[in-house]
Amino acid sequence: MKDSLRISFPSHPKYLSVVRLVTVKIAEQCGFEEKIIEEIRLAVDEACANIIKHAYKGDTSKEIVLKYMNTKKKFTVILEDRGIKADIRLIKGRDLEDVRPGGLGVHFIRRVFDVFEYDEKRTKGNKLILIKYLGREK
Amino acid sequence: MNIEVIDHKGKKVLTLSGEIDMYSSPELREELMGILIKKVPALYIDFREVSYIDSSGIATFVEGLKYVKSYGGRLQFFSIPKGIMDIFKFSKLDRVFEIYGNLDDAINS
Repeated sequence: MKDSLRISFPSHPKYLSVVRLVTVKIAEQCGFEEKIIEEIRLAVDEACANIIKHAYKGDTSKEIVLKYMNTKKKFTVILEDRGIKADIRLIKGRDLEDVRPGGLGVHFIRRVFDVFEYDEKRTKGNKLILIKYLGREK
Repeated sequence: MNIEVIDHKGKKVLTLSGEIDMYSSPELREELMGILIKKVPALYIDFREVSYIDSSGIATFVEGLKYVKSYGGRLQFFSIPKGIMDIFKFSKLDRVFEIYGNLDDAINS
């Protein structure tokens, strides 16, 4: 069976707490253990924060669309925006040994999701696809 | 997120509670840097009631640590919940931040 949910919210950081609540509920319904749920919560939060910061450059009046999909084999989160296109070559996060502010968000996303990729066919805005395969330790 | 500044036997303690994220971290930064700019020898941060932290919250503390080190002061964390500690460990920041079990341990270090 395929479960799916779509939500949209304004690109204001005050709504990130709402996104986290929804994400936790969805992840709970998918049957993830508590530690993984916390990692998914942080990863989705970081992905949304990146959209606000980089795609919308802090403009709080735009829209972010989130789609959650769950099948027997994988848990997918898709994040869509209509902001500045992400330059994939620049998305790599800082070396964890290099202690300085920033550059951790990407690491938190990759920590729990097996797939972190942008839909290259998208001509306007961004479509970020995050997939966690079920029954697979990361 | 709530922030409380307590004076404990002459020591400055910043007690935090709730979620530290992109929305609340600017307030944390203002409070933190507002204390550190006075070049306090040590600032103790109580994490007991912190339920969540993201990369913007961590970045705020890294900035605070860099500043405090610039004048030879100390930033000391205590009572960190397991979920928050896991994030510090994953980020390898448990080796960079001074972390203690409780306030007394931090003060006596």
